[in-house]
Amino acid sequence: MQKQLNRLIWRRHRRVFGIVGGLSLLIALANNVIVLHGLGNSSNAHELVGSNINKWQTYSQSDFSAYPFWLSLAFWMLGILLMNIDLKDNFNQFLFSSGFSRRRVYWSKLGMGLAAAIIIVVLTIIVQYGIFWISLPANIGFHLAWPGLITSWVCGLANSIGVFALCWFAALIIGQTGSLVVTLVGFTLSLTGVASIGESLITMSGWKLTGGQVTWLASGVWLLVACILFVWGAYLYRRLSLEHNGEYLLFPGLKVPVYIVFVVYVTTLNAWNASDGTSAVVAFIASVGFGYFWLWRPSIMEKWHQRRSRS
Amino acid sequence: MTLQVKNLSKQINGHTIITDISFKWAPGEIIGLVGRNGVGKTTLFRTMMNHYIPDKGQVLLDDQDMEQVSSRQREVFFLDTQDNFLTNYSLKELPDFFKIVYPNFDQQRYDDLLKHFNLNAGDQYRRISKGMRALVNVILALTSNATYLILDEPFDGLDVIVRENIATMVIDEVADQQKGFLISSHDLNELDGLSDRVLLLKENKLVHDYNLEDIRATAKKIQLVLRDKEIPAVLKDHSKLIRVSGRVLVVVVTDYTPEIDQELRALDPVLFEELPLTLEDLFRANLAHDTGYQLLK
Repeated sequence: MQKQLNRLIWRRHRRVFGIVGGLSLLIALANNVIVLHGLGNSSNAHELVGSNINKWQTYSQSDFSAYPFWLSLAFWMLGILLMNIDLKDNFNQFLFSSGFSRRRVYWSKLGMGLAAAIIIVVLTIIVQYGIFWISLPANIGFHLAWPGLITSWVCGLANSIGVFALCWFAALIIGQTGSLVVTLVGFTLSLTGVASIGESLITMSGWKLTGGQVTWLASGVWLLVACILFVWGAYLYRRLSLEHNGEYLLFPGLKVPVYIVFVVYVTTLNAWNASDGTSAVVAFIASVGFGYFWLWRPSIMEKWHQRRSRS
Repeated sequence: MTLQVKNLSKQINGHTIITDISFKWAPGEIIGLVGRNGVGKTTLFRTMMNHYIPDKGQVLLDDQDMEQVSSRQREVFFLDTQDNFLTNYSLKELPDFFKIVYPNFDQQRYDDLLKHFNLNAGDQYRRISKGMRALVNVILALTSNATYLILDEPFDGLDVIVRENIATMVIDEVADQQKGFLISSHDLNELDGLSDRVLLLKENKLVHDYNLEDIRATAKKIQLVLRDKEIPAVLKDHSKLIRVSGRVLVVVVTDYTPEIDQELRALDPVLFEELPLTLEDLFRANLAHDTGYQLLK
């Protein structure tokens, strides 16, 4: 039974895995070519990877990143695509009447998605490192060390899984592709604000953490968030009723909670990062107004059209 | 083996779409589902097939809840004609999916039927005509070899030759009593020749479950011309007016008794003639807003 379901999910999503994987490899290749081209002009003997690779912290420099950022982007895309494509292409209808329980479908799809993403990471890293290994000029050394590599891989993977979970969950509850992408881009960009709040909280708490420790802590938080979202997603997936296809929220019951979270999130971000209270008030009023319009716009527009047709 | 729909109800955005729908369906039966546009036929199918979560009710297969024992869903085939995933695939790719879900999927027959109907296996589903898509849907249903087959408007967009072919295939499929069909259609003539039973949906409810043979034994369609312009009480009370042409009335009496016959003949009509009763007559008699006699005022 599980084998059949895996076959079905693989048959359905292999194209997506191929496209995202291909894109990741292509970016790795392009990045390496650019770096190698830049290094070709240098005649000095030096190391491509700095000595920080020996420390237990993530290693990311312009010439070489142990866990390049576009791998998180690949997780971001996979999270959205795996959930949203099945909704948009009406494959959910087929899945829901396929004889496999929704619980099994959800976890199998998630498992295969994460496995594919990890394979993409491994392949991309092999290609990226391999090209440097083979193609670097003789005057440039390429020496790696486990502490930096392990930290970069583990933390990078944890962050990527967190990003994947966010996109996966958002694509599960949001039924409009354009709005989903806009929401996720906005939310992803706002995460820098969240990070600065986190750093401030650590400072205020009196903990004396090094940069490396903060990175590990952040990765732990990401994994925790991912677990919560995956489990919550499983709960919602069993209750997904497809009559709301095409609406912003596929679960009408989430409208009020999403509204409250949106207002609190936007207001807190602004209040925390702004120097005066005015911007917090403005952010509160704007988020209350925009959020209300956005979430209730079908009924608002309907009433407006009715009023127009009457007049 | 029996499939039982029990008290199925569904609301969408606060509007009731289906209420307390209950019926039984056994292999060997061809059931027609009829009702006016928007009455909830497709919603009924979608709710039965777990696309929509029901507000109330169950679908039982041999007394097992299909929602609880999901593997039993494989015994029921339903392809949503409006919302399906086939558009991005070519006809030859479709069995890749259906073979996994329906263990008895007949690939050979699928290929043969594509050839029989001159469908090119390399064509993308979205690029073929509406009629051809409907035909592919029916071919997938037949070759799935599921026990219960739900077809939503299967004749929509098909030419008369293909319709006949499909009707013949459907009848052949049920001949050995191993399969059952539940077919919704606005083509009542087509359903008339196919169905043993007809479920009639009205105002979100299942108002009638007709066995066509039984109903034909008890109901009569009568064409008559009365001497008087006044509509007699016997007609108002026991019949539904389905057509008026000048002074000629065509009525359906669903429960035609010797007493009614006697009362009608006692009126001494100028014309009194029994006509063959069709499914369309039943549809008109039941789903018109009222008996229709107010038209004569």
